[in-house]
Amino acid sequence: MGRQTLDISPVGRVEGDLDVRVEIADGQVVNAWTHAELFRGFEVILRGKDPQAGLIVTPRICGICGGSHLTCASWALDTAWGTEVPRNAILARNLGQIVETIQSIPRYFYGLFAIDLTNKKYRSSRFYDEAVRRFAAFTGKSYELGVTISAKPVEIYALLGGQWPHSSYMVPGGVMCAPTLTDITRAWAILEYFRTNWLEPVWLGCSLERYEEIQTYDDFMAWLDEDIKHRESDLGFYWRMGLDIGLDRYGAGVGKFVTWGYLPHEDRYQKPTIESRNAAMIMKSGVYDSFTDTHTLMDHTFARENTTHAWYDEGTADIHPFDRTTTPTQKNTKDFNNAYSWSSAVKHQDFGRLEAGALARQLVAGGKHGESWQHYDGFILDVFKHFGGANIHVRQLARVHEQVKLYREAERCLREFVLNDPWYIKPQEKDGRGWGATEAARGSLCHWVEIEGGKIKNYQVIAPTTWNVGPRDSEGVKGPIEEALVGTPIEDPTDPVEVGHVARSFDSCLVCTVHAHDAKTGEELARFRTA
Amino acid sequence: MTNVLWLQGGACSGNTMSFLNAEEPTVCDLIADFGINVLWHPSLGLELGDRLQTLLWDCILGKIPLDILVFEGSVVNAPNGTGEWNRFADRPMKAWLDDLAKAANFVVAVGDCATWGGIPAMEPNPSESEGLQFLKRKEGGFLGKDYRSKAGLPVINIPGCPAHPDWITQILVAIATGRIADIALDDLNRPQTFFNTFTQTGCTRNVHFAYKASTAEFGQRKGCLFYDLGCRGPMTHSSCNRILWNRVSSKTRAGMPCLGCTEPEFPFFDLKPGTVFKTQTVMGVPKELPPGVKKKDYALLTMVAKDAAPDWAEEDFFTV
Repeated sequence: MGRQTLDISPVGRVEGDLDVRVEIADGQVVNAWTHAELFRGFEVILRGKDPQAGLIVTPRICGICGGSHLTCASWALDTAWGTEVPRNAILARNLGQIVETIQSIPRYFYGLFAIDLTNKKYRSSRFYDEAVRRFAAFTGKSYELGVTISAKPVEIYALLGGQWPHSSYMVPGGVMCAPTLTDITRAWAILEYFRTNWLEPVWLGCSLERYEEIQTYDDFMAWLDEDIKHRESDLGFYWRMGLDIGLDRYGAGVGKFVTWGYLPHEDRYQKPTIESRNAAMIMKSGVYDSFTDTHTLMDHTFARENTTHAWYDEGTADIHPFDRTTTPTQKNTKDFNNAYSWSSAVKHQDFGRLEAGALARQLVAGGKHGESWQHYDGFILDVFKHFGGANIHVRQLARVHEQVKLYREAERCLREFVLNDPWYIKPQEKDGRGWGATEAARGSLCHWVEIEGGKIKNYQVIAPTTWNVGPRDSEGVKGPIEEALVGTPIEDPTDPVEVGHVARSFDSCLVCTVHAHDAKTGEELARFRTA
Repeated sequence: MTNVLWLQGGACSGNTMSFLNAEEPTVCDLIADFGINVLWHPSLGLELGDRLQTLLWDCILGKIPLDILVFEGSVVNAPNGTGEWNRFADRPMKAWLDDLAKAANFVVAVGDCATWGGIPAMEPNPSESEGLQFLKRKEGGFLGKDYRSKAGLPVINIPGCPAHPDWITQILVAIATGRIADIALDDLNRPQTFFNTFTQTGCTRNVHFAYKASTAEFGQRKGCLFYDLGCRGPMTHSSCNRILWNRVSSKTRAGMPCLGCTEPEFPFFDLKPGTVFKTQTVMGVPKELPPGVKKKDYALLTMVAKDAAPDWAEEDFFTV
């Protein structure tokens, strides 16, 4: 059987415009290219603007994890200005970040991922009829409940910031809000509502406490067999169906993983600096190399971008984001031997291409590196080892696993607030370089800012999907999603749902990726327009 | 059944995320109870690749009736008017938009990018973005000043960054239930029902505005955000303090200055140095006053208000 080339435009249900080309031989993908197809040039826009412009502009890079962008923008300015941030404000930022991610889990699982389980391809699965009953778009029982209840956690964001998405309540030196007892009580009640109406009865089929006992793959399987409620919960049902339809058999990727770490501790990061960040995070940073089974800390100085196969005229060298002077190519023709995406290829100076996302966070959470007090959770690493590496199914379990621990952390923020203590300490503006990072639901996000003469000289963003969806680098090494697509079986080339599974298992978010780039000067772009 | 096709141009998906927060009705209720049929949506649609391209052509060719075209995000024209920097389903998005706008009974622009061009269109507008029928306050936009959908209406503009979910659902339901003729549009084609009043209307800090008691710094439970922190609540047309966000609050209630995001000028002053979260003043008087207020009267009002202000106006107001 000869090779067949399949151009899929668009893939859909990844946020933003993703196109994929795959080469198929003997019913399997043997080569793949991912292209991000939108350019807005946010960093061009930020250049020359007020130092605080990023607080308004960068949440609008992405409406899905705007709170994560706001977090990065604030911490970047905090490190540049040398602010002091009161503990209430650190907790309030963390709480905003957490509820945004808690929102994203059911919205992603039901809205973007699980509806493919109702694809006709799976008609012969014994789970199919039930999958349709639960996961059918808009009308499925769990779809409707899950998508609707996903709006609840961000009501807590609105109590702090007035609205979700797109508030700018986090500012250098703290937060704009000063919640009252009313806000805190409501926030508790909203969390409780979420837990008692979906998280426990529908998603887990058990109490949070019972779920928290699961530490290993064997624990998880024992939990599954223990009670019909566990097996028939959405998590239990999804797990069994995913295995039945073979989601554990493809989608491996590059086998190396990255997280910046997130949730700074309220007592350890009140005088934030770039250098002191790693030791102050509750969720530790790191790189996990599955080939050597080793964990190391991640640092912003390790990040490199390469634009050899991207639509920028910037040569073929790997450069640190602080040094990028991005120049978009005028004519963005798809050329598979040359440039074919607006995304750059991001890499680690030593480890090369890395996968970002919930799986990466959980694999790093299973490492013994970092500080003794930092969060440790070995469950997903154990599952990963059981399966001998990544696949769609493990990536999916990791994506939904955080729900319970983030829920607990949200409760802790609410307990730790001291309502009459400060929420903001007015900082002194000054020139300098700053860096802010976090983990958006879908992976590692960071902002680099350089302020000179009281205005932004350079603003650079690397979003989670920039790591994952990037094209080949200067050595021709495929990006994580490109690599994960290789080996994917394609049953029906007119409906390549399997390609969708792989892309969506990364929870790709192109809307960030494709505008994380700038041009050399606004003047040059103006000239382009009139050329 | 009312067929809805929702597409995104230079978008951040923020309006989609906002829409998904809708509660009365929810997005699922829209389908189950109000007869709205989502043909496709970038985050929610089932089809991919060729199958979607076929569906889009069927809409253009009239094989599938296109009742409502919802557009989110700016129209990207770069480079050089070709739109190639925003390709979708194998064509520039603007080419799809051009064809689909001719086939649609109603066109609804959700969010600032689709209405005015939004953040992507701010200076220096690298993506050559514009809104569907406006660029900032200037009429025209991508479809032109004279564009009318098949039902005879201009693009219905629901601005905001993002648009409030209730603003979106109420307009979709109004169309689906034959009530759209009741909705008056203002001179920027915004439904007056949401945009006739000001953000300030219903703000819990109104009493501080009246007595000229200012919030001087963030993180305070007292004071009005207009005098020092750049709040645009008194000058911005929106219902943010009447139809609360996420059912619970609004930016000004939480202590964040209104950025004026339902107005075409957002982000104001193009975020030039010194303009972010700072009220622009001349000799201590705000450069911009609430519409219809004369400078001379404002000065008089300030004097009287400060004189009349009770002590509690400067004290912690919403205490723990």
